[in-house]
Amino acid sequence: MFVISCPYCGARDQSEFSYGGEAHIARPEWREDMSDAEWADFVFMRSNPKGVLAERWVHSAGCRRFFNMLRNTATDEILAVYKIGERAPEVQAKLPATPCGEAPIGSGNDAVKVMQPGEAE
Amino acid sequence: MAENATKSSEAAAPPEGLTPPERRTPLALRQPVEGAPGTLRLAEMPFAGKFILRLDPASGGEAFREAAGLDLPAAPLMSVVNGERVVFWLGPDEFLLLVPEAEAAAFAEAVEKGLAGQHHQLVDVSDYYTAIEISGRKAREALMKLTTLDLHPCGFPVGHVAGSNFARAQGWLWLEHGEEETARFRLYVRWSMADYLWCVLADAGREWGVPEQIPAADETFLTESVHSKKA
Ligand SMILES: [Zn+2]
Repeated sequence: MFVISCPYCGARDQSEFSYGGEAHIARPEWREDMSDAEWADFVFMRSNPKGVLAERWVHSAGCRRFFNMLRNTATDEILAVYKIGERAPEVQAKLPATPCGEAPIGSGNDAVKVMQPGEAE
Repeated sequence: MAENATKSSEAAAPPEGLTPPERRTPLALRQPVEGAPGTLRLAEMPFAGKFILRLDPASGGEAFREAAGLDLPAAPLMSVVNGERVVFWLGPDEFLLLVPEAEAAAFAEAVEKGLAGQHHQLVDVSDYYTAIEISGRKAREALMKLTTLDLHPCGFPVGHVAGSNFARAQGWLWLEHGEEETARFRLYVRWSMADYLWCVLADAGREWGVPEQIPAADETFLTESVHSKKA
């Protein structure tokens, strides 16, 4: 359980909010020759980083407004909250180190140790 | 809609031999309950005109004030009171307007007229919600058992209004009067959740002597005349 700051109502318990998926994914312009792959890309493909992710949340029990959030999926740290239509602010995040230097993908991989900056391997 | 709680009452006059249209509130079966004197009291506040207004306060606030006779809340989570008329902040462009039932129709007409030409929406929700008044010096404490809201006077001052979950039911909580000994909250809840929340609130007050409330199962139909004897 953690506290989320609604940009309108302020700090509230997580139980008042609902998740809305990754943010800033634009619906493609409809075209006659649009392929299934293009459509599937819009519907299904997400970046799923182990690190900073821009996502949508809705304050469903409070003001019922959608807003955006930058969250570090490796640490659950909420780095920024901003309104729909605004650009994501620049943030500093402690990104997790991966054992062999591979891309930090896959937020559910518990076997990967989260390394803090300066921590020796 | 505002005047009628049941569909049957829309007709002008009932045919000969039929009883007059009946009205009841969501908590018509409930009498006000109270614990030890001054601790906690629950009462329904039935039959009020309620409207949801969608309006950009920056462009339409002035027109609204002229039409309705009171301002829109200047800050989030605040309310404005003028006599018996109250406006709640529900969202950046959404407000709940409360007026006495007798004034509701004329009020709505005046607001619609005043906002003509403005991009807005006014919906009568009088029968969607009812209000439970929670008062007494243990009111804060009782509500704290139901919600994750910070109800400390620092975080929830007089006039504050906040939507949250109350024992998992969504509602709007308003602190009408905040002096410690005479705190008076109003909880606006959906019709279908009202009886459930009533029982949960009574349960929260058991430690101060509020009598147990059994959820209504076999409700019998109570008329408005019976209901009005509550007060
Ligand atoms: Zn909110």
